[in-house]
Amino acid sequence: MIFKAEKMVENLKAISVPLSRSGLAVVVGLLIGALLMLIYGYDPIMGYYWLFKGAFGSVSEFMETLAFATPLMLTAITFAVGVKAGLFNIGAEGQMYMGAIGAVAIGGAIALPAGIHVAAATAFAMLLGALWALPAALLKLWRGVHEVISTIMLNWISFWLVTYLAIYHLAEPGRAERTVPALPTARYPVLGATLTAVIFVSIGLCIVVYILLWRTKLGYELRLVGTNPEAARYAGISSWKPVLTSFIIGGIAAGLAGASQIIGRPPAWSLYATLGNVATLGFDGIGIALIGRNHPIGGIFAAIFYGGLLHGGRFMEYHVGVCSELVRAINGIIIITLAIPELLPIIRKFLKRGVK
Amino acid sequence: MEERAITKAAAISIAIIVIVVVGIGAYILTRPPAKPKFKIAVVSDIGGRGDLSFNDMAYKGGDEAERDFGVKMVELISKVEADYVPNLRTAAADPDVQLIVGVGFLLSDALATVAKEFPDKNFAGIDTYAQSLAVEKYGAPLPNLMDIVFEEHKGSALVGALGGLLAAYYDKPYIGGVFGIEIPVLWKFEIGYKWGCDWAMSWIENNKPDMKKGIYNTPRNKRVLWTYTGTFSDITKGYEAAKPMYAQGAVAVYNIAGPLGLGINQAVAEIAEAQGLTKGPPFWIGVDANQDWINPGFVIASMMKRVDKGVYYATKLVLDNKFRSIAASEGGVLTLGIGTKVAGELMEGISMSQLKDLDEFIEMGVTAEKLTGKKVLPATPEEIRAKVEDMRKSQPSWIWDAVAELEAKIRSGEVQVPCATTQELVNQWRAILG
Repeated sequence: MIFKAEKMVENLKAISVPLSRSGLAVVVGLLIGALLMLIYGYDPIMGYYWLFKGAFGSVSEFMETLAFATPLMLTAITFAVGVKAGLFNIGAEGQMYMGAIGAVAIGGAIALPAGIHVAAATAFAMLLGALWALPAALLKLWRGVHEVISTIMLNWISFWLVTYLAIYHLAEPGRAERTVPALPTARYPVLGATLTAVIFVSIGLCIVVYILLWRTKLGYELRLVGTNPEAARYAGISSWKPVLTSFIIGGIAAGLAGASQIIGRPPAWSLYATLGNVATLGFDGIGIALIGRNHPIGGIFAAIFYGGLLHGGRFMEYHVGVCSELVRAINGIIIITLAIPELLPIIRKFLKRGVK
Repeated sequence: MEERAITKAAAISIAIIVIVVVGIGAYILTRPPAKPKFKIAVVSDIGGRGDLSFNDMAYKGGDEAERDFGVKMVELISKVEADYVPNLRTAAADPDVQLIVGVGFLLSDALATVAKEFPDKNFAGIDTYAQSLAVEKYGAPLPNLMDIVFEEHKGSALVGALGGLLAAYYDKPYIGGVFGIEIPVLWKFEIGYKWGCDWAMSWIENNKPDMKKGIYNTPRNKRVLWTYTGTFSDITKGYEAAKPMYAQGAVAVYNIAGPLGLGINQAVAEIAEAQGLTKGPPFWIGVDANQDWINPGFVIASMMKRVDKGVYYATKLVLDNKFRSIAASEGGVLTLGIGTKVAGELMEGISMSQLKDLDEFIEMGVTAEKLTGKKVLPATPEEIRAKVEDMRKSQPSWIWDAVAELEAKIRSGEVQVPCATTQELVNQWRAILG
């Protein structure tokens, strides 16, 4: 890694085009959202002012934003690392549920000494997430089953399995609406608002994935299999190792995402029987990944941005009176416009392959 | 050449951004400052407005407080569970807000947490058990927090008696109950309902021996068909649970799962269409809000939990500066029910719907129609009133009189409706009543 000014400028130029495209997308999204607010008679400028001030305006509010962002950057990795390997892995949701119930099982139902309890619960959650990714991976490698179909089905199997475990085996006695809470020894230390130290683990995982993808041979092979499978085959790279790695990394990340809402999120520290506190985080991760250009580090910033939308929305509701459904619509529009720059090449690739 | 073009584009973009930011800044700074006023904040559970039950009642109470006391209500609707704490905090951080109401038991944790952080703000919870959590977490109940709970068991006894009497009159063997998630609050409904039916059977024995038919002849522990669906939001489960109950001969099914009543209603509507009925039997019984208008003629009555009164009284107590003292004297838990008094003043919160209650709730439906633009009321207000009145008059008056008798006896304390909040009590009563 030689530090050359020329190389830096080159890198800057390389990022500047996609960055400006994303910037343009943000502006377009905000404009359409403003139009929606105007149509319904709300003040868009004050609306956005409160949205951003609320989400990022003070230390404790920013921490709340980060708390919302934590699981999203991880489920984004599941999708992003799949795309990098040429896959369309949308199994984050199901793998995340398994991670969550794993964290409940070790964190809430079993007592372990304080030093290792947190680590054990986290590791078990990541393991369960990875294990849940395996069936889709093996079906793809062994039978060529398209991962879109297998992962969606596995998502639903996971949903019902985890719901069953939560209600019938891990429910808190006398409070059937949620599981046993994580024992104090299994909880990540609270940093402020509802943010805990699990964010460090999450960012750490994103960095590890980045290093794996861009600084190791396995990562290189994975990306090559994704961008140009014919060239990879010609170069003698068998696709089974990269594909399996991609699924497993995705499963680990999703499992951690699930754990982050159990042993890393006060005040509930548990899983609701409706899976409400983890639901849709896996699918949201797909949008985050697209905004972050399917890059693990980009995903961190995209997650913080979307966490800001999720948290800041209540201030728009509170101070400007924008009704909460409209807030959700505006969030959705911003996500769509941000996802388009990354989505277009994927659609184009898909159409080209279809034509061939 | 290319580089100059990029630099030019960059310069123009920066210039535009600066102009926009300055413009927005100027706009924001020239906004007039907000006038301070007395605000109450109502933080709802997931689902917010439009459930025609719990949440809508809470906002109705807030609206009435606005109208009667001149306060301003601000709403915060939780989109996901993770929103509970941030919503409560946002409301508490506003210097104008004097009362923060959390609606629903799922907000108990969040209420206990945030009430501790803001000791000079007043917090109230509807159906919450935040004080018991506070005792667990902090060792003592919080002085600025009040759990507002209701005597659902007494109201359920009233509709249980109504159901039992109707089943005897129409010679049907059962009444039914469709419950949500099995939590201790719902046990109060379940046992109260069964107990009420049992009371009705004794009443028939002593007062109307010619009605010893239908449900009277069903074994004592089999009279009520019941199930816990495990959800408060999946309407189809309501339909799936109620359909077999009606098929087995239940004359009325009690809805204790909020919106699932709409599923039960669907089951009733199917039977009505198949048999060409314009009014029940079969009936269903509404809960929380007055749901009689949802399918007029087929909802025999509703067990009203006056959540709106809870919000209203809490606001009144804050305005009268009595909130803290009442919280202290009541141990942080305010119970509203039948005949309940707070500091000598009658503050009730449970009743079985009467005709006169109907108008208020038709109004709620009219407002919901205006807000959502969708048709909510099944007919015009006059038609609805007429149908409900007709349905009520079609039932023999001794049925209504008997239920009124039970209500009077509950109010005077002559009868005690069991309040089953522990597993042992529930098991005991289930052994007797099914």
